[in-house]
Amino acid sequence: MKEGIHALAALMFWAGIVLGLRGLLLAARLIFKPPGMDRHATAVGLGWSMGLGGAGILIGEGLFPPHGLGIPVAWPALAVQVWLSVFCAIVALVTFFQAVSGSRESRRWLVPVLWAAASAGCWLLPRANPKPVEFLTGHIFMSPSSLGAVATLAVAAVTAISLASRSARAKGIVATVATQLGLLVGCVVFGLPFLFLLVTSFKEDQDMSSPHGIVWIPRVKQTAPVLDPESPYYEAPYKGMTVQADLEKANPDGTLTLRIAHPLYFGGFTFNVPKAQAKQIPRDMELVTAKLDGQDVEGVIFQKLPDGSQDVEILKPVSMKGQRHTFAPKTTAFVRPMSLRWKNYVEALEYLPPEADYGWVYLRNTLWLVVMNVLGTLVSCSLVAYAFARLRFPGRDVLFKIMLSTMMLPAAVTLLPQFLIFRSFGWIDSLKPMWVTAWFGSAFMVFMLRQFFEQVPYELEDAAKIDGCSYLRSLWSVMLPQVKPALAVIAIMTFMGAWNNFMGPLVYSSSPETLPISYAVQLFNGDRNTEPGLLMAFVTMSLVPVVALFAFAQRFFIEGASLSGFGGR
Amino acid sequence: MLCIGHNESALRFLSLFLATTLGTAAFAEKSIVNVWGLTPGPDSKGQEAVISAFERLNPDLKIKSTKMGAGDMNPQKLLTAIVGKVPPDVIAQDRFSLSDWASRGAFRPLDDLIARDRGKDPLCPVPEQYYAPAWKETQYDGKTYGIPSGADDRILYWNRTIFQRHAEELREAGLDPTRPPRTWSETLAYAKILTERDKRGNLVTAGFIPNWGNSWLYLFAFQMDASFMSADGTRCTLDSPQAETALQFMVDGYKILGGYDRAQQFQSGFLSNENDPFILGKVAMKIDGDWILSSLSRYGPDLDFGVGPPPVPDDRYYHRGAFADDKDTFVTWIGGYSYAIPTGAKNLDGAWRFIKFLASKEARLTEAKAQANYDRSRGREYVPRIQANREANLALLEQFSPKNPNFAAALAMHVKLADVGRIRPPTVVGQTLWSKHVEALEAACKLEKTPKQALLDSQAAVQRELDADLEYSHLKPFSFGPPTFGCCALGLGLLGWSVWSFRRKKLGRLARSEAFWAYLLISPWAIGFLVFTLGPMIASIFMSFTQYNVLSEPRAVGLGNYTDMFGADRESVLKAFGNVFYLTGIGVPLGIVTGLSVALLLNTSIRGIRFYRTVFYMPAIVPAIASAVLWSWVLSGDPNKGLINSLWQETITNWTHVAPPGWFQVADWSKPGLILMGVWGAGGGMILWLAGLKGVPGQLYEAAHIDGANAWQQFWKVTLPMLSPIVFFNCVTGLIGAIQIFDQVYVFMGPDTGLAGPSNSMLTPVVYLFQQAFRFFKLGYASALAWFVFIVILALTLLQFRLSKKWVYVEADK
Repeated sequence: MKEGIHALAALMFWAGIVLGLRGLLLAARLIFKPPGMDRHATAVGLGWSMGLGGAGILIGEGLFPPHGLGIPVAWPALAVQVWLSVFCAIVALVTFFQAVSGSRESRRWLVPVLWAAASAGCWLLPRANPKPVEFLTGHIFMSPSSLGAVATLAVAAVTAISLASRSARAKGIVATVATQLGLLVGCVVFGLPFLFLLVTSFKEDQDMSSPHGIVWIPRVKQTAPVLDPESPYYEAPYKGMTVQADLEKANPDGTLTLRIAHPLYFGGFTFNVPKAQAKQIPRDMELVTAKLDGQDVEGVIFQKLPDGSQDVEILKPVSMKGQRHTFAPKTTAFVRPMSLRWKNYVEALEYLPPEADYGWVYLRNTLWLVVMNVLGTLVSCSLVAYAFARLRFPGRDVLFKIMLSTMMLPAAVTLLPQFLIFRSFGWIDSLKPMWVTAWFGSAFMVFMLRQFFEQVPYELEDAAKIDGCSYLRSLWSVMLPQVKPALAVIAIMTFMGAWNNFMGPLVYSSSPETLPISYAVQLFNGDRNTEPGLLMAFVTMSLVPVVALFAFAQRFFIEGASLSGFGGR
Repeated sequence: MLCIGHNESALRFLSLFLATTLGTAAFAEKSIVNVWGLTPGPDSKGQEAVISAFERLNPDLKIKSTKMGAGDMNPQKLLTAIVGKVPPDVIAQDRFSLSDWASRGAFRPLDDLIARDRGKDPLCPVPEQYYAPAWKETQYDGKTYGIPSGADDRILYWNRTIFQRHAEELREAGLDPTRPPRTWSETLAYAKILTERDKRGNLVTAGFIPNWGNSWLYLFAFQMDASFMSADGTRCTLDSPQAETALQFMVDGYKILGGYDRAQQFQSGFLSNENDPFILGKVAMKIDGDWILSSLSRYGPDLDFGVGPPPVPDDRYYHRGAFADDKDTFVTWIGGYSYAIPTGAKNLDGAWRFIKFLASKEARLTEAKAQANYDRSRGREYVPRIQANREANLALLEQFSPKNPNFAAALAMHVKLADVGRIRPPTVVGQTLWSKHVEALEAACKLEKTPKQALLDSQAAVQRELDADLEYSHLKPFSFGPPTFGCCALGLGLLGWSVWSFRRKKLGRLARSEAFWAYLLISPWAIGFLVFTLGPMIASIFMSFTQYNVLSEPRAVGLGNYTDMFGADRESVLKAFGNVFYLTGIGVPLGIVTGLSVALLLNTSIRGIRFYRTVFYMPAIVPAIASAVLWSWVLSGDPNKGLINSLWQETITNWTHVAPPGWFQVADWSKPGLILMGVWGAGGGMILWLAGLKGVPGQLYEAAHIDGANAWQQFWKVTLPMLSPIVFFNCVTGLIGAIQIFDQVYVFMGPDTGLAGPSNSMLTPVVYLFQQAFRFFKLGYASALAWFVFIVILALTLLQFRLSKKWVYVEADK
């Protein structure tokens, strides 16, 4: 019984949603005035839809108030046999009405009867659960954040609809809205992992795992800089770097023994430093809030006592500033406003070994690879493609076919011998194996460029030749300017290839000095895979240059994709 | 430091003397000792202290310790570094794998150095100082290949709080809640009671996860007196009845948890540090080594835990049956690291000096002192690690015994059991034995095979490796000379012929100059083709007929590699290709549907098309590695962490009680996970579809419209046939791409098992090839595999082209 009511509530709710959507559509129609619209009928329809829809939603929600905000859902849980029976019954009904409405001669009563019999048969099949229908009921729990997401989506949809007004007039509003909605849903699906990546990279550790679903709005513990005379915090030079450190002890010879806190890679190392070189700096301490005599106070914990209670120095309200109070265990709470934890990015870089120089070395290596690969490919491919496109020489067709056939050769075949070759050059643990080959052309790029060269009119080149241009000269000043878009596509495809190259560094790079970003991401993943915040921050940083390039050169990416047919991969 | 004070001053004096006589050059040019495998970092202060102490004593040396990168002890990195002649000078290597590497000549024997310094240098390590099993593990073929550092044995840790929580039930079952289980059957009985589930049937607390912590099959097999190798090292005895009994115990343990996959999924929610599942009370009992104590003291100092010897077979405990005469009631597994010098190390002298110092009692004490000071300053208790050097161990325990009784008891238990520790047998196929043992363990625990069958299969695979290795010395050396000569002669002949035919053409002066320029312009490609493509191709063919591990010379095996591929190793090859067909069979159609539907939606003059295009295209530009790292979190098996599973838990589980899948942690779901990841990137394919859609002539639609076709019919009768070339193209490239999938899978490769995903479920041909080449050093076999991959790709491409003629619509005027 209760389940039945719940199912009814769910039905009313969803009917309300559908009616509400219809109302939205009618409203859009009223605004955009497509040709042939009946203003009055639309307005009346709008009124009915909105009214009934609102009532449906309210009643659906009201009949069965969930704990908090939720959308009622009901689903009949049927055994397979029952589903079959229902299906057969529907077919029987449809065929029956077809038979009734058809002409007298063509009436075939046997078909619906057979379907009905099948339906009954399926119903009678033995079932584990004798109860025919069972409603699985529940609520799609709506947290404020997901409600916000839905609202944002709705606003976006309406905006899209109003933006789509022009095409809507031509195409019909239903098709336009359906397309826009489809695209929006697609965008959410495709964009969600990105959003997850970004949000995770800004979350604190305690929000990484939550039994109430993913935490989408990061909260960060608020801190305040505090100069604490009891446990001072210093900035001091260590091995040529400036580090932040805690005081371990003050030595009688006037030096201080400090314990490094930042950068994290050296975290915990101790060293001695003359007092004059160490500068005391305020420490960022986490704020807590607690109730003191019925009043809310904020402060920092300066000491945790063994029984779990905490000594708190009050910062707010100002009238009580500087006072210290001891609070019983679990009576204080961190102040965690909604915020982004940028520190994840800083800490991710601080965890890198000193040779990596906060990741600059990886970036430098990758940039070097990218530059050398792009330059090499452009130079070598234009030379080779030009020769194949414009010069006549014996053996041209044979050589071209050989070149084309190498496109089918998987890299795996040449991987091992190439390794042995580079080893004999002494190039292991250097970047050379990853860019030198680019200077010897790539079959696919040559093939593509040759197609473009062949479309350049011969007259242009002939004119240059009459002026006494050499082949190189005419390549440089006549041919290349004509195929700039193709060159851009080649450059970008090579860029992506070099940026993403993983097998190369996996085989050839050993020391931190020769790591490019792609491999560093994998190693970082192995190293810090229990700290998703840092990991996602690192991944985000590794993506930024690619995404930036994509933003600036989208056209060439997309041209490249349609030219190569690889969809960018 | 006191006892070497004399040395220190002597050395200082010496270096001062050198500096004054040789000028400042000696100081300016510190020679660097490259070290891999030590892990400096926030939690190991001791290492840093030892290194600076060493550098103080040896002003002419500088230690460069690499961690991230090659330093994380990936065997493939070490192999390439040794082969590439850029090895580190010192490496901290797991002892059990020493013999494997040593047999291939990767490490330098240390006996001559020990003999030279013995008695002269007080730091020189001598066998007598070490626990016998630890020293024995560094021996191979009568030579010493490493100096043992730690000695870690496994004991049982149990959470008293959880035991107390179930005290009543335990007592009812006749079990004592105040002590840990001692026998296997007791363990299972305890585990059954201590395992807790929520109302959805998900695990909340696992009583005992047989292979979580550190036991593997080795520990339980050792307890059954099983050894995985025969005494002479020529036969693998993985399939012994004793090992089978041990494996059966693990299988039974998993049955209590509801199966291996359930446990794996539960484990995927495990974190470390303060969220360690043992500290959080998610696991009641585990078998682990002494390395967990420092983490326990840091993150769970108040945890009420107890220790005990690892539970043993009932017969052993009651000294009956096969164990009637065995005096050891408890038996454990002992292992640890060692310091070794790779072949070709550039700074041999520095390396040996550093190793001597590292292994010495003084260094151990320096390390402990620094670490203890640090830990105390942070309010944590310092727990020393067990050393292989007996003297160092005793001194450490005397000076640094923990005050917390739980930790003291744990340490005492570790030390006590070190005497009954068994080691993994030294063998040339250590890596294979390890990987295959993991395979057998997984197959049996997942109930895919009976323990007997699983062990038999793995035994056969290891035995094959062993036989191949034994056979190696009887094989004829394979020389690359004659084939190289032949190829060069052939090449010269071809060149001569082309020159001859060129001259015969009698070209004019202009044509000649044009041809000259053309050859010059294509020379980059021609040279690259010869050196980086044709040469390697030919070399690869010849390599595929050899047994070759790069470190020693290749030996000819004829067609052996190819017969292996289709014979003895058929199962793995079939698995790799089977996975490819799974991935393409589902992934490519899904990708096509995704790309095409996005393109259809976008193929209208719609507002915001640039924005949509950007969003759909973006995933395609994300590097495969970054994408895999991201998706390993998106598809995390833990519904509290993973994006998809948290949505699943809130919706599907809520309504239908179907638990979310384990994705990359479970063999059955890892490939669908990979496919989802691919579909995410397939939005990029829409560009191609868009271009195709724009190319469909408008009059076709008009004609269809006039004939009364609706949109649906237009799509099936006009659009799709016109797009068939692109569909075909996608199929071919999708299939070829799937065969070569590597980057994505590499992210999911187990660092210690080397398996591609759970139970090798994500194995693809190129991944398999890479494993064979760089993990098992079988370059010959890997080359044969590469050629097979090539032939399959070629055949598929040709077949597709042939078939495509039948159904691809080709524009008439083309």
